[in-house]
Amino acid sequence: MACGWRSVNPLLISLLGVLLLPLFVATWRTSLFGLAGQGFLMAWIAYRMGPQPTLLGEWVTLADLVFVRGLWAPAALYGILRAQNAPAKSDVIPPNLLSWTAALGIVVVAFSFSQVLVPESGEEETLIAVAGAGVLLGFFVLATQSNPFSQMIGALRIENAITLFELGGKHHHEALGLQLGQIAVVIVTVGLYRWYLRMLGTKPGSPASGSTEDVTL
Amino acid sequence: MSSFADIVLPAVTRLGLGARAVRARATAAFLVGVGFAATTAAILLAVGHDRAPMLGGFVRVDATSRLFLAVINPIFLGVSIYVWNRISAAPSLRESMGRFVTLALCFLTAANIVLVANHLLALWIALEVTTLAAAPLVVRSGVRSSQLASWRYLLFSSVGLGLVLLGFLCLGRGIEAHGHAPTFFLNQLPEAVAGVANTWTKLGLGFVLLGLGTKLGLAPMYSWLPETYDEAPPAVTALLAAVQFNCVLAVLFRVVQVYRPGNARLVNGTLVTMGIVSMIVSTLSLVATRNLKRLVAYASINHAGVIAIGLGVGKAASYGLLLYAVSNAFIKAVLFLTAGQIKAHYRTKDTRKISGLLQHLPYSGVFLMIGTFALLGFPPFGSFFGELLILSALVSSRQVLVFSAFCTLITMSFVATGRTIFPMIWGEPKEEHDWPRQTFLSASPKIAFLVVLVVLGIYIPTVVNDLLHRVADSLGGP
Repeated sequence: MACGWRSVNPLLISLLGVLLLPLFVATWRTSLFGLAGQGFLMAWIAYRMGPQPTLLGEWVTLADLVFVRGLWAPAALYGILRAQNAPAKSDVIPPNLLSWTAALGIVVVAFSFSQVLVPESGEEETLIAVAGAGVLLGFFVLATQSNPFSQMIGALRIENAITLFELGGKHHHEALGLQLGQIAVVIVTVGLYRWYLRMLGTKPGSPASGSTEDVTL
Repeated sequence: MSSFADIVLPAVTRLGLGARAVRARATAAFLVGVGFAATTAAILLAVGHDRAPMLGGFVRVDATSRLFLAVINPIFLGVSIYVWNRISAAPSLRESMGRFVTLALCFLTAANIVLVANHLLALWIALEVTTLAAAPLVVRSGVRSSQLASWRYLLFSSVGLGLVLLGFLCLGRGIEAHGHAPTFFLNQLPEAVAGVANTWTKLGLGFVLLGLGTKLGLAPMYSWLPETYDEAPPAVTALLAAVQFNCVLAVLFRVVQVYRPGNARLVNGTLVTMGIVSMIVSTLSLVATRNLKRLVAYASINHAGVIAIGLGVGKAASYGLLLYAVSNAFIKAVLFLTAGQIKAHYRTKDTRKISGLLQHLPYSGVFLMIGTFALLGFPPFGSFFGELLILSALVSSRQVLVFSAFCTLITMSFVATGRTIFPMIWGEPKEEHDWPRQTFLSASPKIAFLVVLVVLGIYIPTVVNDLLHRVADSLGGP
């Protein structure tokens, strides 16, 4: 799929927008729409990179991006938050000028670093930059948040960014079994996130509430 | 009618309860049976020979696999026997047995796959499965702190393993950038990466070491470990600390075996730095903690630091490092299972509230005593010789600063651990307890682990010694 790329730069820039928007519009719905948007845009990027998928692995990649990352992951978390009647506002990073500047600074750093990694400027360089920005922004979310939902969003952003990076390589679907294994891992991980979200709720909890009196294995 | 109900209903209830108890015991017996079969197979493989890649090249049994298979499977068997005994002692645990056994068997299968996988992505997937199976096991029903600990374990593991995957992909790009066809097959990698040392490779190695370091509990991303080990049920803690830790270590060995030759400075420098920082933070925490399980958890971080330093020193320390790592697996299994027994009786993890262990719980007192001596690196245990060989390698490689820091930190952790644990063992009992004596069967896994520890220190069987030498040679280094 890496050979014969059609222009994906506009899509990559849109993806960057989808990565940044939920940081500034802080509601849990925006975060989940952001995740869905990442999945769909990555699917579109994968399609543009190999417009006529012939191998089963290429179809599986598209199905993973559309159905697992674009639909299942956000929908699974959405259902729980709706059932819990979670308040609409949900910060992914602290809502202040310093955090917003840091987020934009991270994007600049990612673009500068991609120039070092990919000497020829072009679409590959942009792809690496956007993937790098995705990973770093995911870490930024994780570093600044203590509530489970925001941490889940941070972890899923990192996973999506890694998938985007994988799309640009020549080795990204070496064996169908491995590809299916990776997708199964994502599905089970999101399933577990759903379980934890139901169990823990959206607020950070106090670890001091534990008991040592219970009987355990 | 009433007398009929008086007779029949209790009888039916008793029958139902009896059936549930039998089912729970049968489930636990099944777990022990699988553990026994896996141990037998692992030992047969360990004493056998290497196997060429099979199943499309995705499976390979080499010296590293054989060594670690022979470590993790017996420990799993010991943990299953412990669980079997626990459900006999505490019938309320029987309800959760089905769930525990299912997840534990998933965990064991994935752990074994990690060790025999010949493909970086395959072993990454298997490592993820061990995490996904273990995370729900950390949760104790209704205990909020254990739920949070379990979540943090999953979060850190997901991020750590995400970094590992990103690192593998960068390493693939490094090969690609060098003009070779990218591959993730371990047996093909040495040829593919020969002479490859570019920015992608360095970046990839950095990510892989940071990600695996997170899973091993090395600084900077270690904070999940004390919390998870403390909150998880002791059987699960033993599985994480002794089985999963060694699977991750085996993956680290795989990466070092392939990538050290071209990137020795980066690999060694990163490992030694991570090791020293981990030892510093864990030693300070050891001084401060009064929680038995957290103390052993911090000691685990300390030991992971020692292992990272040993791996970073290079060839001279490789044999000692392996001896230390293998001993460490059995020490942690003994100590966490013993901590579980102690907590089950005293209903506290606060070390200041526990004393007179040798009188109250003679078996647990002896296990804690011997386990602590092994933990602190006393002779005649394998950990002593392992540590000695790592220290001697530090001296011979003229890393005086690392040597001095290592000795200072080991001494501090020795004092901190002894100061907390010894009064528990030999202190005057604060209360009178008359608990039933543990049966030999319930103590048997820990006795077996201690025997292994002593054997590793006194006389290492030739087969095991050859295996240790072969893995040590494969680690390479200056």
